[in-house]
Amino acid sequence: MIRINCPHCGEREHAEFTYGEDASRLLPANDANLETWNEYVFERDNVAGEHLEYWHHALGCRSWLKVQRNTLTHDISWVGFPHDTPPAQGEVKS
Amino acid sequence: MSGFRHGAGRVGEKELQFSFDGRMLAAREGDTIASALMANGIEVVGRSFKYHRARGITSCGPEETGALVTIGSGACSEPNARATMHQVTSGMEVSSQNCWPSPKLDLLSINNVVGSILPGSPFSAGFYYKTFMWPAKLWYSFYEPSIRRAAGMGKVPTEADPDVYDRVNSFTDVAIIGGGSAGLAAALSAANSGLRVLLMDEHDEFGGQLLNEPRNLKDGQLEQWRLDTIAALHAADNVTLLCKTVCWGRFDGNTLAAHEVVDGKVRHNYHKIQAKKIIIATGAIERPLVFANNDKPGVMLASGARKMLNHYGVAAGNKLVVFTNNDSAYQVAFDYHDQGVQVSALVDSRQKPPAALLKGCMERGIPVHVQCVVTKAKGWHGVRKVAIADLAANGQGVGQTRIIECDALLHSGGWTPQVQMAAHGGTPPVYDNQIAAFVVDKQAEDTWSVAAAEGEFGLHEGIDQAVMAAKAACQELDSDANDIVKPSHDLIGDLHIEPLWRVPSKGKQLVDIQHDVTAADVVQSHLEGFVSVEHMKRYTTLGMANDQGRTSNVNALAIMAQCQGQSIAETGTTRFRSPIAPVSMGGIGGREIGAHFKPLRRTPMQEWHERQGAVFVETGLFRRAQYYPLAGEGINEAYVRETAHVRSKVAMCDVSTLGKIEIVGPDAAELLDRVYINMFSSLPVNKARYGLMLREDGHIFDDGTTSRLAEDRYFMTTTTAKAGPALAHLERCLEIDWPELRVRVSSISERWAAMAIAGPDARATLQKAFADIDFSNESFPFMGVVHGQHHGATLRILRLSFSGEMAYEVYTEADHGEAVWQHIMDSGEEFDIIPYGLEALGALRIEKGHVTGAELDGRVTVGDVNMAGMASKKKWFIGKNLMQREGLQDDARPKLVGLKAVNPSEAIQTGSILVTETQAKAGVDKQGWVSSMTYSPELNNYIALGFLANGPSRHGERIYAAYPLKGIHVEVEVVSNHFVDPTNDRVKG
Repeated sequence: MIRINCPHCGEREHAEFTYGEDASRLLPANDANLETWNEYVFERDNVAGEHLEYWHHALGCRSWLKVQRNTLTHDISWVGFPHDTPPAQGEVKS
Repeated sequence: MSGFRHGAGRVGEKELQFSFDGRMLAAREGDTIASALMANGIEVVGRSFKYHRARGITSCGPEETGALVTIGSGACSEPNARATMHQVTSGMEVSSQNCWPSPKLDLLSINNVVGSILPGSPFSAGFYYKTFMWPAKLWYSFYEPSIRRAAGMGKVPTEADPDVYDRVNSFTDVAIIGGGSAGLAAALSAANSGLRVLLMDEHDEFGGQLLNEPRNLKDGQLEQWRLDTIAALHAADNVTLLCKTVCWGRFDGNTLAAHEVVDGKVRHNYHKIQAKKIIIATGAIERPLVFANNDKPGVMLASGARKMLNHYGVAAGNKLVVFTNNDSAYQVAFDYHDQGVQVSALVDSRQKPPAALLKGCMERGIPVHVQCVVTKAKGWHGVRKVAIADLAANGQGVGQTRIIECDALLHSGGWTPQVQMAAHGGTPPVYDNQIAAFVVDKQAEDTWSVAAAEGEFGLHEGIDQAVMAAKAACQELDSDANDIVKPSHDLIGDLHIEPLWRVPSKGKQLVDIQHDVTAADVVQSHLEGFVSVEHMKRYTTLGMANDQGRTSNVNALAIMAQCQGQSIAETGTTRFRSPIAPVSMGGIGGREIGAHFKPLRRTPMQEWHERQGAVFVETGLFRRAQYYPLAGEGINEAYVRETAHVRSKVAMCDVSTLGKIEIVGPDAAELLDRVYINMFSSLPVNKARYGLMLREDGHIFDDGTTSRLAEDRYFMTTTTAKAGPALAHLERCLEIDWPELRVRVSSISERWAAMAIAGPDARATLQKAFADIDFSNESFPFMGVVHGQHHGATLRILRLSFSGEMAYEVYTEADHGEAVWQHIMDSGEEFDIIPYGLEALGALRIEKGHVTGAELDGRVTVGDVNMAGMASKKKWFIGKNLMQREGLQDDARPKLVGLKAVNPSEAIQTGSILVTETQAKAGVDKQGWVSSMTYSPELNNYIALGFLANGPSRHGERIYAAYPLKGIHVEVEVVSNHFVDPTNDRVKG
């Protein structure tokens, strides 16, 4: 079980959470062209390593969280709110 | 007869009775089934998996490969139980497996003969893939059943399991897997820190290999240390001791899974353990040597025979031969000799065994055959003599054989550290030449492997490692573990092993005794080109029985490496996977079975429906009233009657399952304008509006009605199915995309009961029920919202229609739901009100042409359901960009239509494809599909909704709804999806 340290609730197992989406994408402007929107919605990097993603604490505080997870090891090195930025590589300590 | 009771061991004197294949036998309290059978001289306890070769007891532990039995009978019976791992209880029924009529005379053992005569015969490596290929049609009728009868083990009970199983969630600071000397030492050391310590061991008693030692060794010092340590751990409040508990898997986040045999009110517990630190002290198990007939009853791992003698007080035979390639088996010979059992020969494949051991044999008069091997075990049922021969100096051949009589052969091929749990941490084990086995050299985070599990077999060294691990683990948790007092007597762990992977002689040499995989099978898989160990494993099925290759894995890899002419390290090992031991499904299921499989959501009026005799249907977690049958009615009669009743009189339906979300804040209107395709900022207070939401990709996400209760307050309803996702979607929008919006959203689904009152007399019914509300068209028009009170209950009444009739939705607090419902039923009595269920609700909405989840399946656009006009051109909304993609704008896309059976009484099958061909045939041009169907009492005709290419321009055309799987081909007329009241006169009346 992946354990996620929710800033509101403390460390909980991932069964309480729902995976949301890739958190590295930026919402395009409303009037951005079709290609930009297409890229935003459909294009994904299949990252092997550290990955920023949104998780929803659906069975907890119902907050959306930004989580930095290593897709190879499932290690979670950082958890924050959606508009927080994770510390730079090297400073991360779980 | 070979085994017999010999001395006291550690088990008590108290006798009890159990039965084996119907025969009553005596056992002592503390005996396992294996030790009790052996004490009774029972040699053959079952037959093997494929060849039906006789099988006896081969060990005293979880590595047991021979003695698999069925415990109990009927619904509670447990097949494939390892006789070595279950204590005998009074009256226990034990039966042998895979043999008919009896283990001694088994008619299917013909497989053994056939398997030996025919090259590439059934049951040799890859037989599943090679044999019984043609004719293919015989697979299900003949091959498969006959192979199943011949191969396989115990029978699974067919009745439901009446026992109770439980799940336990544990949290611990230090989890210690394995309760041998090292595990006990680590636990005692860590216990002093005050941290929470959990120690688990799969045996019924803690001690591990200490239990193999004689109880009175060195005046009982070792035994006293063991007992004192266990007592100290029991006394410590912060220590949890779990015996009969096998840790079978390690998962992300230091989660351990363990299976505990309780056999009390609960049969098994499944422990999910969250550990901060993990110490692996799982020990090592002995490997068999590979020689001909090494699976014959009476051939036993030396360590198992030692535990039999010293722990259970059972001797494996009267006259023993010991065969080894390392030091450890000598002590077994010494113990047996010293306790008065004749050891006829000690056969050692090594050229120069240590002098001290040879001296020990000489002192006792045990003949030692150095650089010698057992080539074959002989005997009909059990071993009665062995053939031994000198081993050539290069290890490639043997000399003349000579015969030694015996009734048990104890062998040791070395020791295999139990690395499964360490390997689950993610690092593959590496080969260690010193001990000729695999160890994990790189530990996973938060993990320490110690003692025999790490290849250190000495007692004191193992304990030192364990204490060091405990100290390191506790230190990382800012606590201090202590040193502990070691037992004053040490046990030397040096093996001086010289690998002997396979005796170079003929005969059936079993590698995986449990799965009947021979050394020849491993060689054959090599000859057939399997170069990966993973492929060899699957091709031969080696290591895939319930012992998971504990005894067979290393031998097989070594034989494979020999074939490939490379080192064992280069060949590598297969990946270790969970569960590493047999685990009951009952334990994993716990109490979440039957009605408790998932939670049941109840509407506030649930009990009313139950009293009314409704028939229920599962929709998600709800059980909704599907219809309310009158005497003699089936579903079809009932829903048609209820549907017609709505259209002619008045009826009420429980719609509390709808998702309800309260949206509050100065920017509430702005949020809704962004998530709905149509305008909600322009909606006046106390008005409702139907809305459609899209996903970002431009497809429809959900629909529902949202009403405005105040300038800054909206009440949204969603479909039942999308209640959760819609809320999460709004939360996502507010937290991630638009945190600047000042809005809060909350689910109020559980707080409000909802009921739909529909039919020509709906107004009259409600007017009577709630006299102080004016239900006239002028003051309460279509899509209006009115608030009221009824005996303390809040009423929120929306004039909406899903059925196409004049209709209202009444919302009230959940606590008042049933009272309000009953009040409306009472008030409607003079108008002949009835309740209607989900089935009639569906029929009504299809007649009206409204879409639900059957149509909004995630693949349709607003254009597909003919609602493109709803999309606002004045504003942006989610999905607006990508709904303009070319493919989604294509006019030829299948679009929503109504379908009317040309023959009114011919039912249209949901899921049919829409075609123009008059006959069903392969390769038809699919032009659309049927999404939902009903019988329409309004039209006296079967009707349906579906999607058809260019549908709206094809009204009037006759096509076919085809369901080739069932041979259904129904002629239908394409019509508007609004079968009933297309001008909306009724809802507005």
